[in-house]
Amino acid sequence: MTLSATLRTFVWLARDTFRQARAGGILWILLAISGLATVVCASASIVGDVPLAAPGETPDFLPRNDRDAHDPAKLKSSGVVVASGELRLAFGMIRIPLNRDSHSAVHFLELILAGGVADTLGLLLTLIWTAGFLPGFLDTRAITVLLAKPVPRWSLLIGKYVGVLAFVFANATLFVVGTWLAIGLRTGIWDAAYLYTIVLLVLHFAMFFSVSTLLAVCFRSTVVCVFGSIVFWLLAWSINYGRHALVVASDALSPDGFSSGLSWLTDLVYWVLPKPADMSLLLSHSLSADAHFGQLFDFAKLSASGFSITLSIASSLLFTLAVLVVSARRLAATDY
Amino acid sequence: MALVAEFDNVTKVYRSASWPRREVRALNGVTLEIKTGEIFGVVGPNRAGKTTLIKVLLSMCRPTDGRVRRLGGPLWDRSTLARVGYVHESQAFPNYLSATQLLEYYGALAFVPGPLARRRGGALLERFGLADRAHEPIRRFSKGMLQRLALAQALINDPVLLVLDEPSEGMDLVARRLLDDVLGERKALGHSAILISHALDEVERRCDRVAVIRDGRAAFVGPVAELATEQGASDSPFARGGLESALAPYYEEALA
Repeated sequence: MTLSATLRTFVWLARDTFRQARAGGILWILLAISGLATVVCASASIVGDVPLAAPGETPDFLPRNDRDAHDPAKLKSSGVVVASGELRLAFGMIRIPLNRDSHSAVHFLELILAGGVADTLGLLLTLIWTAGFLPGFLDTRAITVLLAKPVPRWSLLIGKYVGVLAFVFANATLFVVGTWLAIGLRTGIWDAAYLYTIVLLVLHFAMFFSVSTLLAVCFRSTVVCVFGSIVFWLLAWSINYGRHALVVASDALSPDGFSSGLSWLTDLVYWVLPKPADMSLLLSHSLSADAHFGQLFDFAKLSASGFSITLSIASSLLFTLAVLVVSARRLAATDY
Repeated sequence: MALVAEFDNVTKVYRSASWPRREVRALNGVTLEIKTGEIFGVVGPNRAGKTTLIKVLLSMCRPTDGRVRRLGGPLWDRSTLARVGYVHESQAFPNYLSATQLLEYYGALAFVPGPLARRRGGALLERFGLADRAHEPIRRFSKGMLQRLALAQALINDPVLLVLDEPSEGMDLVARRLLDDVLGERKALGHSAILISHALDEVERRCDRVAVIRDGRAAFVGPVAELATEQGASDSPFARGGLESALAPYYEEALA
């Protein structure tokens, strides 16, 4: 099959996926979530804040609840500023005092949206809602006529996979760009790093949807796809988290704290499996989450111990590719 | 005369994936040829291997042994499937699509250019009496309408080989006549068709030659008239004359 025929097949399968999502109501639910998040952001405003540092400088300020912050004489003599102002949501009905300045508040809001709503809740729900797409597509009665078409089986499977990814990409883009525009227009702060989360969200989804794809080929069951991919996600997250915990803790403990065998085994499984915790770590790092929340791991410390985000993403993508190749080969060998 | 399908001593054994391993021999050394320009019938009792024969021809399953050629080429050459149309006995189309969308989509996967698929699809829907429902989701279609749509889908690439597995199930009299017309036209164009059916009167009326499949073997291959001569008249309670009488012994053996 030529490249243009392959691309055409993918485009048609992606179109079919969008139609399926629209008919099943998933498209409308995701659009509603994006719309709601955009409205929430459009209702936000920041009032009364003071700049805590010039660009490139380390902020030097007092929190508003510090005892010295209420002593005007001391403040005047030291020249230190006090964090002030508030983040208003729902057109002023919800007021949250700022701990830092407006840039920090915007990062906080974006972190909640990207890390909490999209990367955790959104990812799990999308994984569940799209889990039925492939088992339904691969059902004997549904696929029989398609198998009698000249397109190879692998292109049908990968085309449907790409179609679901395109659907997730479109929704992630709508969510992130919509909220980014709303926040930017309301606050005047345009944080480009937030837009990177689109790529991270799609990569994160792609890794686990490949497992769902393999399960669909093997079992053609939505239930198996839902539970299998979520259990696998939890397992991969635990291994990823556990490996970093081991690396960070091994510095604090004696060299004999962990056996070399355990370290070697953990490293092996870490490099083989996809790395969801690393994706979350990268997302948090790019949105300066350490300014607001306690971090699972110190990014700098991990980096010093040989952690490479490039290698982490590359090996996760390699895993995804391998699972897709196995799925395609399995489908090619299946008797219908 | 060129051949559209060749089966040479073809065997197909299905092996269950789960334990305990079981084997089902669906085809057991089938040898037959289907010529260009003929309407070829495949008949036989349930579970005789008729559908497996078609699945092997259309690369839905691999033969365990033997050689199969499709439109003069080997099975691995899927490009020949661009000239094949297929109606499955119990096809489940994506029910969120309209008839127009379905024909365009399935046409694209058969490498039919978009404008041609739209034009041809419109003409087919008109011909099969579905034009007034062309933009409705097909989940609202009756079984007969879906069968007509399945036939339209199989013709979207103007195939030289049309494979029909129980195509007239659920079809009303008008649709059956349409099917007769379609088969007549394919034949007039020098194209071929394979028809699997339990409606023996239809096979008798429509087909030039017939294969009787029993226990995974081609028990008879030849003209319908020859089958009747070979078997003679049957006094079987199953038989009501014609091909039915000729086939009665094969069915009775399957029941025995």
